[in-house]
Amino acid sequence: MNTMAAPVVDDAAARRAARLDIEEFNAAYCTVLDDGALEDWPEFFTEDAFYNITSRENFDHGRPVGLVYCENKAMLKDRALAIAKTSMFGPRYLRHYMTNTQVTGIEPDGTICATVNYILIETLAELPEGRLHQAGRMIDRFQRQEDGSLLLSSRIAVYDTLLVPNALVLPV
Amino acid sequence: MSFQLTNVPAAQVHGAGAMAVEVDGLRLALFSLDGEIFATGNICTHAFALLTDGHVENGCVECPLHQGLFDIRTGKAQGTPVTKDIATYAVKIDEGIVWVDTQPRAGAGEAGGRAAALAAPADFRRLVIVGAGQAGAEAARRARAEGFAGTITMLGDEPHPPYERPPLSKDLLLGKTTLADAHVFDAGEAEALKLELRLSTPVASIDRDKQAVVLGDGETLAYDMLVLATGAEARRIDLPGAETVTLHYLRDAKDSEALGKALRAAESVVVIGGGFIGLELASAARALGKSATVIEAQDRLLQRLLPPEPAEFLAWVAEQNDVALRLGAGVARVGPEGVTLTDGTTVAADCIVVGIGARPRDDLARAAGLETAATGGIVVNGLNRSSDPAIYAVGDVAVLRDSVTGAEARMESWQNANLSAARAGGAIAGKPQIGTDVPWFWSDLFGGTLQIVGAPAADQTCVRRDGEAPVFFCLDADNRVAACIDFGDAEALRAARQMIEAGQPVDRAALADPDTNLFQIEDDDMKMLPIEKRFAWPAAGLDRVPDWAYTNKEIYDREVERIFHGKTWNYVGLEAEVPEAGDFVRSYVGPTPVVMVRDHDGGINVFENRCSHRAAEFCRELRGNTEEFVCPYHQWSYDLKGNLAGVPFRRGVNGEGGMGPDFRPENHGVKKLFVTQRNGAVFASFSDAVEPLEEYLGEEMLTDFDAVFNGKKLTVLGHYRHTLMGNWKLYPENLKDPYHATLLHTFLVTFGLLVAGNKSAMIVDPSGRHSTMASAKSDGAAVSDENKAEMRAYRDGLTLSDPRMMDFIPEFDSPWSVTMQVVWPGLIVQREMNTLGVRQIVPNGPNEFTMIWTMFGYEDDTEEMTRHRLRQGNLMGPAGFLGLEDNEAIKFVQDGMLNSTGGEHLVVLDPKVPTGTSTTLISEAAIRAMYKHWRQEMGL
Repeated sequence: MNTMAAPVVDDAAARRAARLDIEEFNAAYCTVLDDGALEDWPEFFTEDAFYNITSRENFDHGRPVGLVYCENKAMLKDRALAIAKTSMFGPRYLRHYMTNTQVTGIEPDGTICATVNYILIETLAELPEGRLHQAGRMIDRFQRQEDGSLLLSSRIAVYDTLLVPNALVLPV
Repeated sequence: MSFQLTNVPAAQVHGAGAMAVEVDGLRLALFSLDGEIFATGNICTHAFALLTDGHVENGCVECPLHQGLFDIRTGKAQGTPVTKDIATYAVKIDEGIVWVDTQPRAGAGEAGGRAAALAAPADFRRLVIVGAGQAGAEAARRARAEGFAGTITMLGDEPHPPYERPPLSKDLLLGKTTLADAHVFDAGEAEALKLELRLSTPVASIDRDKQAVVLGDGETLAYDMLVLATGAEARRIDLPGAETVTLHYLRDAKDSEALGKALRAAESVVVIGGGFIGLELASAARALGKSATVIEAQDRLLQRLLPPEPAEFLAWVAEQNDVALRLGAGVARVGPEGVTLTDGTTVAADCIVVGIGARPRDDLARAAGLETAATGGIVVNGLNRSSDPAIYAVGDVAVLRDSVTGAEARMESWQNANLSAARAGGAIAGKPQIGTDVPWFWSDLFGGTLQIVGAPAADQTCVRRDGEAPVFFCLDADNRVAACIDFGDAEALRAARQMIEAGQPVDRAALADPDTNLFQIEDDDMKMLPIEKRFAWPAAGLDRVPDWAYTNKEIYDREVERIFHGKTWNYVGLEAEVPEAGDFVRSYVGPTPVVMVRDHDGGINVFENRCSHRAAEFCRELRGNTEEFVCPYHQWSYDLKGNLAGVPFRRGVNGEGGMGPDFRPENHGVKKLFVTQRNGAVFASFSDAVEPLEEYLGEEMLTDFDAVFNGKKLTVLGHYRHTLMGNWKLYPENLKDPYHATLLHTFLVTFGLLVAGNKSAMIVDPSGRHSTMASAKSDGAAVSDENKAEMRAYRDGLTLSDPRMMDFIPEFDSPWSVTMQVVWPGLIVQREMNTLGVRQIVPNGPNEFTMIWTMFGYEDDTEEMTRHRLRQGNLMGPAGFLGLEDNEAIKFVQDGMLNSTGGEHLVVLDPKVPTGTSTTLISEAAIRAMYKHWRQEMGL
């Protein structure tokens, strides 16, 4: 995917630059989800992106299932469409927080590997004080585009919070 | 005007009644009414549904989705939920073909329309009551009182308007009152009720298919609802010599009049039959100054009905009134000289009356194929509804069958005539009357009145109390008052009624003591009441589920004891999760934590995760491999079979402390459960009395179970765990509720997974506890155009970018592509096309449960098949397109109950199937079946 002519370097400066880009990327990503603009959400991904939300229990034991399991952007779009147009669920606010961004490597093809911790706070009308819905870690792979922007080619959300309260209606 | 050709022949519309057509991009409905064709818009103005799928009646069409009603001719909306009129279009017929003007007519009802349409819609239903007795009359009265606005026609054999029967053997017989005094209706009341009373009109038969009764003269009378109040008739006896005398029977006004004359003319009266009617007739004869003899075949009076003490007292009263009793006496023949007994003696009589009971008149019902009882009478439920939901039976002919125990009771009493009619009348008007009453009966005897409350039985023990008048309390085996027979102490009778309702054990000595205040004999503290008195199921029966079944902690505790720890098999895990010796997983049976572990012999053991020393939940990891389990608190250790292996410092230290000499480690292992397996699924039970799993499931359920667990080795793909904020039973109920599938899960309909025309079934096992909700996905080619049109009707233009998720790859020995199986109490086996999983319910009190999902495939799956299962997994689970909606709905239901009090759920769909397997999705018969089983297990 990497079309940049310059040779890829993986040093502290490159990782620091990538980290800043990723933090900006995630801030925008969280905003889209927090605003409920679900149908814009697939646009953060490459066409062949992999997306999975799974428990730490599964991840640590190499079990592949996901609460959400998408093998490409088309499936992400289908999820956005189905949730937005057909799903019944009670009204709620969701707020995503991503911190502790770490770039763990830049591969020779330019793929940036990163992790970031996340928490998801869910507020329901009947639960106005809000509650922690998920706490976990994203394991990400980013591709830099021709215009310099980033897109996710893989995001695996691994949550520590073993018991999902009722339902996870929107992606993380 | 711009008439467009529809290409539909008018004759076709007349034939079909209603037809959908598309003209100029408009979806139109054509209706045939009284030989004329009308066109309206076809999409309901309220929600997305086609009116041509609805029901046409009285010039109106009812939308199939929410019963919005439109006048076909004017388009006028007939009230909630529809407020906006439907467009109407002019129609013309040219050479037999329908043309429609695609310009809608100007505002159908807006400019005034018919003001009347906004008033309550007219009730076009026809209620027919067969039998013009007290029960029939009361049914009409109650239906009207509760708001039934249709027509009521009452058909009676006799020439008299409805009258009450008790006076026939009492004052009317003695000539003290007239028949008019016994009339049920006051003057003008029948007219006020708008009741068409057709007397001397016998009914020949009932045509249930046509919903019509056929009269004796061949006339048919259509009904929407029918009440059978055909009563009972006197049981007749065949006696030698009967042709030489007049044998009197007493059932109706004619009998009473004839018998009254005969009694007055007689000198000596013999009554054959020592029941209440026989005693009343003897009493009447004595009142007229005649000699009276009662002949009873049994050794005492009322032998089948009452315990000995009150019956003997009654015999004593009769004898004090100079009635001769011939007990244990058979009748050999009758003749002008009197009645000759089998012992050869003759009792002189010039008037012979036979009172040996009554037979329910159920012949019409029997011929119409309604369910009747072996001992006679029409079987009805708690609303007095028969096996045909359009037909009710009330009064003497009705046999009330308990929906849970199956016990049957037919009652011949004035009170039952009224109460049963009230229940039926209320149900017909759409306002079911909840509650029964303590049975009550009276008999006027020898100048006094005997009254009975409750249900006396010959085998009850009796306590006699001599207060103002003798009272007999009948007690059951637990010393609770079951009935009371009273000879004139009204206060005692009232107290007895209270004691019967309370159902508390009473002290016999206190009960017998006339100085005891009967109203204070019990402790008033409600907590002392037995659970079945505090939690009384709604009288309407299985049609209702009370909120307390979902919200009460005491009920929940009883469920744990009787269901999860009772005779049930509870799923605990998959064999594939513990392939090696020492492999274990933490699991649950009901709420109780257990460990499932494979031992070195290859067996799988399940035991409680609770140290036998100080109760600590010793196994803390979700899964792992170990050689032993050691409780962290005091290091007690257990082997892989749950045996206590080591107790630190068992012998003490330096000869001090430690266990006593009687301590035997083999007596202190952890609680071990009974374990069974089937094709890789592991079940455990606290009960050694539970039947083998194959019998527990039954043949039909086993077939669906084995389609998933087919013996192939399983590969675990992972788990989901989530907490649902609802009672655990709402989950199995959700999968016994096919009604919700297309209504809640828009996704199913939108993307064509479940559409009209799919083959589907809601299968229930014979016990009512297990079930399979099944459907077969049609391949694209098999979906008819009609059904495709219907699919489009809900959401136009939505398609999946990656439709692979919806692919079904046939791999199962089953006619179904989807099966959702409930294995009572806590397992759901999911086969949603190719995504496979089990869901285990772990209740956490009445208002919350945890669900543990284990998703799996087969060991021989290709990588692509595994990926397909994972992709399809998006449908289910805590974030599944379908799954998340069920979780939300269950939460909403529990919220609804927790934020209100004392309510109940309505589960009445598909009344033709009281409980069990239904062939339609619009049914709640499987939920009713589950609660029938639940109530049996819970003893409630």
